[in-house]
Amino acid sequence: MKTSPLLGLLLNLIRKPGTLGSAAKFAEQYPLADVYSRASKGRAAVFPLTELDEFGKALLGAPIYKPAPTRHDTLDSILVVPPLYTPLRLKKMEELMREPVFSDVETECSFGGFRSTMPIAVASMGSTPVWNKVSLMVSRAAAEAGIPMGVGENVATVWGYSKRVKPSQPCFKERVMTYLENLKGPHGGVFIQQSVEDAYDELWNRVYSDPDITPYIDEGKVGFEIKLGQGAKPGLGGETLVDRETALRLSQKYAFDADPQKVVKQVYERHSAPGTFTPEILGSMIRLMHNNYPRARVWVKMGPYRDLEKVAELCSAERADLLWVDGKEGGTGLSPVAALKDLGLPLVACLGRILKLRHRLSLDFICSGRLVDGGDIVKVLCFGCSAAGLGRPFVVAAYSNGVEGVRNYLETLRVEVQLLTSAVGKYRVSDLGPEDIAATDPSLARELGIDSVYG
Amino acid sequence: MCVINMMFTVPVEELEKYYKTVRTEKTGIVLRVQALAGRVVRDWLDSHGFLELLPPIIGPVTDPGIRGAKQVSIDYYGREYKVMSSAILYKQMLATAFGKIYFFSPNVRLEPLEAATTGRHLAEFVQIDIEEADVDYRAAMSTAEQLLSHTVNTVAKEGAHLLEKLGRKLPNFTPPFKKITHAEAVEILRQHGENLNPSAEIPWPQEEKLSKIIGEPFFITDYPRGARGFYDREDPDRPGILKDFDLLYPEGYGEAASGAEREYEYSKVLARLRESGENPAKYGWYLEMLREGIRPTSGFGIGVERLTRYLCGLRAIWEARPYPKVPGVYSP
Repeated sequence: MKTSPLLGLLLNLIRKPGTLGSAAKFAEQYPLADVYSRASKGRAAVFPLTELDEFGKALLGAPIYKPAPTRHDTLDSILVVPPLYTPLRLKKMEELMREPVFSDVETECSFGGFRSTMPIAVASMGSTPVWNKVSLMVSRAAAEAGIPMGVGENVATVWGYSKRVKPSQPCFKERVMTYLENLKGPHGGVFIQQSVEDAYDELWNRVYSDPDITPYIDEGKVGFEIKLGQGAKPGLGGETLVDRETALRLSQKYAFDADPQKVVKQVYERHSAPGTFTPEILGSMIRLMHNNYPRARVWVKMGPYRDLEKVAELCSAERADLLWVDGKEGGTGLSPVAALKDLGLPLVACLGRILKLRHRLSLDFICSGRLVDGGDIVKVLCFGCSAAGLGRPFVVAAYSNGVEGVRNYLETLRVEVQLLTSAVGKYRVSDLGPEDIAATDPSLARELGIDSVYG
Repeated sequence: MCVINMMFTVPVEELEKYYKTVRTEKTGIVLRVQALAGRVVRDWLDSHGFLELLPPIIGPVTDPGIRGAKQVSIDYYGREYKVMSSAILYKQMLATAFGKIYFFSPNVRLEPLEAATTGRHLAEFVQIDIEEADVDYRAAMSTAEQLLSHTVNTVAKEGAHLLEKLGRKLPNFTPPFKKITHAEAVEILRQHGENLNPSAEIPWPQEEKLSKIIGEPFFITDYPRGARGFYDREDPDRPGILKDFDLLYPEGYGEAASGAEREYEYSKVLARLRESGENPAKYGWYLEMLREGIRPTSGFGIGVERLTRYLCGLRAIWEARPYPKVPGVYSP
């Protein structure tokens, strides 16, 4: 087994002061082995026969045990429930003049003003070193695959706009251009976040007037994403740890736990503000974006806030192109333990609210938060989202097997989405709906507005 | 070499070898008209009690980017300073101190490349920045129309020999000018087949079209909140509507001046600043000044090169100043 890059990631995590516990916990609580296997084997990982197994000798069955009890409802309480009667399969058969199979499922779709080959977007991941380091591999693979990709906050401020400030860390523009230059055909698009600190350097203005990026803006391949918090720490700003050299360089722009000019230590906590919002502020912000960047898409990404419905209504009224909701299970570079444990709505609760909103709002939704496989993606689509947002699996896939790992991983998602979509008798991902899922708990089903598995 | 675009062709070579261009007869005439216009503007403002001050060039903050334009940063003894993209924040400070003020303010805005071919955008330009304390935006509009009428009419008379050589005949400007609201402008354009976002600023080509349709100098007033900077005052009686205006030249020459009554109350400015996604801490001195209290003011800015372009009837703005900097073109 090729474990060196993945081991490298874990060793890297372990070497960082204070992260020993978190590395071990991550390995224990995140399906690392699953993503690793997908990244290295590609579509072979979708059909779980190892080299030792031969068909006919292996005995397999549904994995019904949860690895650990969960603290709240998750997507694991939702199942995809195929019917026998499938009128849309009949229609597809008429079109094909043969029995349709899963590979006939069209995964191509549009959301947030971009076209995509799959209902998947790479979540905006920011400046966290462990991610930034492999970000170019993901940029390349995502562009080749034709799925939209985000560039998170603080990348330009921390790692430089067009020049690397540290030889081992790609700068902002490398991430953006690697993506844009590897796009083929009409699919894909990049959406860029700007933190309050990036706004100090007017990141969006800089991107919008950058001659290298302009042709892609003209093609409609660039969007800006207003970030209203994230799943792992709704209501809190960005938190990360930086070394002294970085802290000194950034001392004017961020708040630190100790002034790096006066206090000498190895690692500093870098805090950034969560930002202050009211409906007036957010509404004007979206208007300002349309006004200042008329050729860019406007995306809004929010954490799992309890006023999700109000934010969605406003985004729809102000004609934002998309609202991305990151559930409380969402990934993070660093987040206080108390936030991970106790802040925010679980993903499945966000999905239930979106399901109720989707008919009265003209707005595309994406949800994210610990989504790993094709089943997760299909469930999210059934709740009315146009796509699913994934972040961490791309990091693990890139560490496991580089660009190829990300390609392989995406291929497993495509096959699984096709398998499950065809199973419910549908051949376009946009046809998926709440009728295709059911909850294992009747009261959860009632709250979410979907069927219970008990009928 | 020329950059071809639907709208305007940028004469890159003329710009690169500007030492030749500046010696042509036409450029000489244009720059003389510009000097005359500057004199006329100063005479009028001085005789109406405005105090001319020296403009700021750099500072810790400037006007946050306008329509996607980028600011220029410089290293100021280890701290980051901005080159003025507009001296708006300073105008409020000065009008509070002196009542009626103006300056000829050089501004730098790294406009998006699409602005290169509009024929009306330069990365470096000069604004006549005017601000008056204790008056509303109607009064500022009145100042603007009187000043502009006086300038156009006087230049037409005193510069007749120059304008004749350019084949330019100026109409007589008589204030008061026609005034339409932003909502009315969107409606007029809609009737002429342009479907616009009612909550955004009017895009340049449509603004030009409107200026042709109306055929005389006119104001567009009452922009929707979100279409303009945080310093344009929101009408307390009509939430969502700003007490601001653009003044447009006739004949399709587009914007002559842009102005507003200013938001001057600390808490309102703070909330509006958040709309730009910025950390208000960056605007420290300005917010401190507002918290201590300033006078309400109104004012506007007139682009000198756009004024020159109109007076001389020039096709493109790069003909309207020495050493023009067209966005994205490297030239002296």
